[in-house]
Amino acid sequence: MMTMEGVVLKLPSFTQLMNPNHFTNRTSLNLRFTFPKSSSSSTASLSVPAAAPVSLGHSTRHDFEILHQKVNNGSKLVYLDNAATSQKPSAVIDAVNNYYRSYNSNVHRGIHFLSARATDEYEMARRKVAAFINASESSEIVFTRNATEAINLVAYSWGMSNLQPKDEIVLTIAEHHSAIVPWQLLSEKTDAVLKFVSLTEDEVPDTKMLQELVSEKTKLVVVHHVSNMLASVLPINEIVQWAHDVGAKVLVDACQSVPHMVVDVQNLGVDFLVASSHKMCGPTGVGFLYGKSELLAAMPPFLGGGEMISDVFLDHSTYADPPSRFEAGTPAIGEAIGLGAAIDYLSEIGMQKIHDYEVDLANYLYESLRTVPGVRIYGPTPSATVHRAALCSFNVEGLHPTDIATFLDQQHGVAIRSGHHCAQPLHRYLGINASARASLYFYNTKEDVDDFVRGLIDTIDFFSSFK
Amino acid sequence: MNSASATVFRPPTRFPLLPPNSHNPNPPRIQYKPNHSNPRSISTRSLQISHRKHVTPPHPPEFSTLTVAEKLQILVKEFKSLPEPIDRVKRLIHYASLLPEFDESGRVESNRVTGCTAQVWLEVTMDVEGSMRFRVDSDSEITKGFCYCLIWLLDGAAAGEVLEIRVEHLEEMNVGILPIRASSRVNTWHNVLLSMQRRTKALIMEAYGDPSLPLLP
Repeated sequence: MMTMEGVVLKLPSFTQLMNPNHFTNRTSLNLRFTFPKSSSSSTASLSVPAAAPVSLGHSTRHDFEILHQKVNNGSKLVYLDNAATSQKPSAVIDAVNNYYRSYNSNVHRGIHFLSARATDEYEMARRKVAAFINASESSEIVFTRNATEAINLVAYSWGMSNLQPKDEIVLTIAEHHSAIVPWQLLSEKTDAVLKFVSLTEDEVPDTKMLQELVSEKTKLVVVHHVSNMLASVLPINEIVQWAHDVGAKVLVDACQSVPHMVVDVQNLGVDFLVASSHKMCGPTGVGFLYGKSELLAAMPPFLGGGEMISDVFLDHSTYADPPSRFEAGTPAIGEAIGLGAAIDYLSEIGMQKIHDYEVDLANYLYESLRTVPGVRIYGPTPSATVHRAALCSFNVEGLHPTDIATFLDQQHGVAIRSGHHCAQPLHRYLGINASARASLYFYNTKEDVDDFVRGLIDTIDFFSSFK
Repeated sequence: MNSASATVFRPPTRFPLLPPNSHNPNPPRIQYKPNHSNPRSISTRSLQISHRKHVTPPHPPEFSTLTVAEKLQILVKEFKSLPEPIDRVKRLIHYASLLPEFDESGRVESNRVTGCTAQVWLEVTMDVEGSMRFRVDSDSEITKGFCYCLIWLLDGAAAGEVLEIRVEHLEEMNVGILPIRASSRVNTWHNVLLSMQRRTKALIMEAYGDPSLPLLP
């Protein structure tokens, strides 16, 4: 479907085309169709350069077969649930397939050809992750099942051996359950105390309060980088500074940032960072923990078993160095290799390019959604200084988000999420039980947003007609 | 089509009101069947409501001395007759509008059905004749619709009948092409049914002290 976005479409004149600077500013020439390839030997003035800027959403879409389908009553799928999980490009699916077809074998132990190849590719994937977030060495990357397991790893391994009774852990109320519950379990075992930072009136975590809460008693600060509900971004550099000043460590939940922007752990200075593969075009079943070498080296094992040992006797065992120390058992080899392929795919596009595109899309989503009467969007209002991630959690007056999501799905093929998005404390704080959430990724387009908003208006009309 | 000897049965006070915005060319039609002996029978009602997006009028369910099992058949058949999931959504929303008023005093924590993405309050009582009475409310229209069906099915039934119903029997009502078999937070009405059964059991225990005692009053 073609929408013109209200832009006056003016074909560039010949002289303009000859100006190499003409196409640098993407917004000035926001064409949303491809120029027809001129077949006849027509006048030279109409030969348009093939590189007319097509949005990232359009240019990458064909890599994602899953997006080209119809659902329910024959509506085309409009997938807006990327904060929950992302879709995978063919390159990633092919990489996993290829692993299983050509060289599936257990890693690290074997001597034979297949095993050597599998080990190579698996360790190559680790190096790719390390390079992607600019870790200083690949041994600082521990593969886990997902970000949740990575956080649990830190809680049990680092937490149990470093926390004393009355030690404090500072978190925000906007944390994902995976970044809250492991510390609750830990505090039961160690008598550590959890302190929570609430929100400002702008509906972002109160960094002033965070700074005040961080004290000599604080041993760990656990924060998200980008909020999966508020779409806000925390100033990690500053938080790390405050924490390190009092000798506390920082763990950053980067699940919603690593897939969408450049994340540089050297730059951020974090001690631990976690992310999940499945939110960044990679397969499910694998995620990773980044930890500074010296920290990992001092940590006792998490899960015990094969791979993480050095020598095993009947009465005791000695343990391997990190990262192996924390990777017990056969890992998700094919999946880790798939994650490596996802990183290749994203790097080829460029994280900065992805981020820039999504900033634009985020604004478009926010502005479009805001125009719908009765809609209340959570999180900060975007401005020159405040950037939102490309997601909006919202409610519509008088309608339950589950009803909205159901109708949007059934009638319009639009996939959004409804519920508490693994952030019950945040919902409680905001005084709501649930919300709906539309979240985008670089393969979404403004048309997707248009379809969503149109569907939402229809949904609201539908339910109103019953009142 | 009632026979001359039929007793006119007055439906209980839960008389449905037409949604104010519906354009209804036909007045609501209540169908009665001769009421034999059971004063506790539940009435059902058939309504023709046309929505501006034309909805097929609901198949008039018949009532009177239907057992829960028979009512279940009717319900399942009705939903099976709606092939398009969107029609089920519409039907459920229509039913939501028929749900009787829920007293504010019932919106207490002890009445809340936990484990649901929508909020649901459920009141379970046993009347003087030992039948189970249910009242329910929710902040989600689709959930209310499901709950209406559950109420229609089980309100006034014997405790034994309430406990016999299995979640699988009601799969047909699931909105969506693929019935969600797994129990999850999304399956609010599974949770509601389970809650109805759990609390029925609790009331039986209270009343008779022994759940194995005959449950049919």
